[in-house]
Amino acid sequence: MNQTTLAPRPISAEAVHANENRKFGMWLFLSSELLIFAGLIGAFVLTRRTAFQNGLEWWEPNAFSLALVSVNTFILLASSLMVVLGIEAIRVNDQRKLRRYLILTAILGAMFLGGQAVEYSLLIFEEGHSFADPFGSAFFTLTGIHGLHVFVGVIWCLVTLMVARRGTFSSYNYTTVEIFGLYWHFVDLIWVIIFTVVYLTN
Amino acid sequence: MANTPVPHGDAEAHRKHTNPVLVFGILTIATIFEVVVTLFHLPQNVIVPILLAVAFVKAGLVAAYYMHLRYEKWIYTAIFITPALFAVFLIFTLAM
Repeated sequence: MNQTTLAPRPISAEAVHANENRKFGMWLFLSSELLIFAGLIGAFVLTRRTAFQNGLEWWEPNAFSLALVSVNTFILLASSLMVVLGIEAIRVNDQRKLRRYLILTAILGAMFLGGQAVEYSLLIFEEGHSFADPFGSAFFTLTGIHGLHVFVGVIWCLVTLMVARRGTFSSYNYTTVEIFGLYWHFVDLIWVIIFTVVYLTN
Repeated sequence: MANTPVPHGDAEAHRKHTNPVLVFGILTIATIFEVVVTLFHLPQNVIVPILLAVAFVKAGLVAAYYMHLRYEKWIYTAIFITPALFAVFLIFTLAM
């Protein structure tokens, strides 16, 4: 059965109101998340400054690290685009395209995590960094918590995909996808700042 | 009235969105610009403000066009901008 041909079913005004409340709640959640990451980025910058002032060793990304993280940044930006295109698709009731873009989002999110795993293994096993040194503690805490957010986002994306496969979403009812999209874009937005602060302003 | 079928709450408002592929292109070019600028080894007090400014513009583009803040209710913008201004102030102050 081709779900893209099904006529969308309108939802009640109460459901629309409930969806607005869910979005409002999501924005409140994201604003609190923003403060958490502001604190973490601030802590990273402060730790780096203190390390420089005290002559302690600090990591500087080499060409490979910079290339790897640049590709990872591109992957996360592309995943955000997939979410936007997925929402555009469901607005015109194209459920097949929505599912396709959600699959691509999950794949790109997993690729980002894979890139981060490669970076961590290089830092830990080849360069000998750990939570014990100032750089390691600041870097792994900040990027690790961001990575955890990406991981949660990938799981959330897969759950949204499973719901989408049941044909739940339509041009009348896609707030659940929008809320997932808000979370995913927020994770992307935070990475844009982390990328600059951690890797480029050393 | 409560159970009258209505379309998605903000479907009308979303009709004329900026092309997301265009926004993606701008974000990618800005990222390449950031990486290339670091290769010139400019003085720290010159390069850091440039890089941070570009990063915050990129973050603003994501919030405005991908998170649709530009088309949403003002209250969502107010909720998000308030801690964002604090975050920008904190990061700029510490990084400079």
